[in-house]
Amino acid sequence: MTPEPVTQGDLPPPILGWSQSAIIGATSAEVSRALTGLRGNLIRLGLPEDALIRLELVLAEIMNNIVEHAYAGADSGDMTLEASVHGRAIWCHLRDRGRAMPGGKLPCPRRYDLDAMRMDDLPEGGFGWGLIHDLTQGLSYRRVAEENHVRFRIDLDS
Amino acid sequence: MEMSLQPQGAVSVLRVSNDRIDAAIAIQFKDRFRDITADVAGPVVLDLERVTFLDSSGLGAVVAARKLLGPDRVLELAALSPAVEKVMQLTRMNTVFPIHDTVADALTAHGVAPAA
Repeated sequence: MTPEPVTQGDLPPPILGWSQSAIIGATSAEVSRALTGLRGNLIRLGLPEDALIRLELVLAEIMNNIVEHAYAGADSGDMTLEASVHGRAIWCHLRDRGRAMPGGKLPCPRRYDLDAMRMDDLPEGGFGWGLIHDLTQGLSYRRVAEENHVRFRIDLDS
Repeated sequence: MEMSLQPQGAVSVLRVSNDRIDAAIAIQFKDRFRDITADVAGPVVLDLERVTFLDSSGLGAVVAARKLLGPDRVLELAALSPAVEKVMQLTRMNTVFPIHDTVADALTAHGVAPAA
């Protein structure tokens, strides 16, 4: 018995065992391109929009942190993103060969008291780790054999 | 960076045509905003309808844009997509910027009848 032919436009069933591994050059333009591609793939899986918004934001923050800090001053570099969907969560593992996180730990979220600030004092950065901590579950960092490993999950239903 | 200025009465509507304001484009956004608003007086409404993604670098550029206008001109945001709205809420920047559901709402708030 031959299987039903799969025509272009047929959508795969939602969730269940999807995974993707990608090597991404350490530039903000490459990060931008990779995230646009990933979003397209995950939309086709039928995952909830809010989970995809959280995922893209967290990945953008961590990956641009790698570009701007881990590889600061380096001529070139890259990172590997492994993402998979199991059960009701998107699991991610990012690794790079750049410099270690300061103190060998994830940076603490910075929180601002915007109400007390004058316009000229409003922060133009420093939001990244707050967003990452707020939007992920199971966030961890390890430095192993000259590589940085960041792992986290995005629960589909949270 | 694709940004265009449309004067509507006393209000200047600045339409962003890129679908992302992120780390790759944040500096261009700020430069383009500075150039395009140099001679503008009165309130500026940033039309974000086309923007489906804003990261913290992009948000930083929007904050920088606000500062460029100085204390005598306001910067308001209109037509936020769910992803942009989420970032504004999580960083509490929604308490800093007036936000309108649509550009027409923003114009109405300034007493300008939206063009048909």
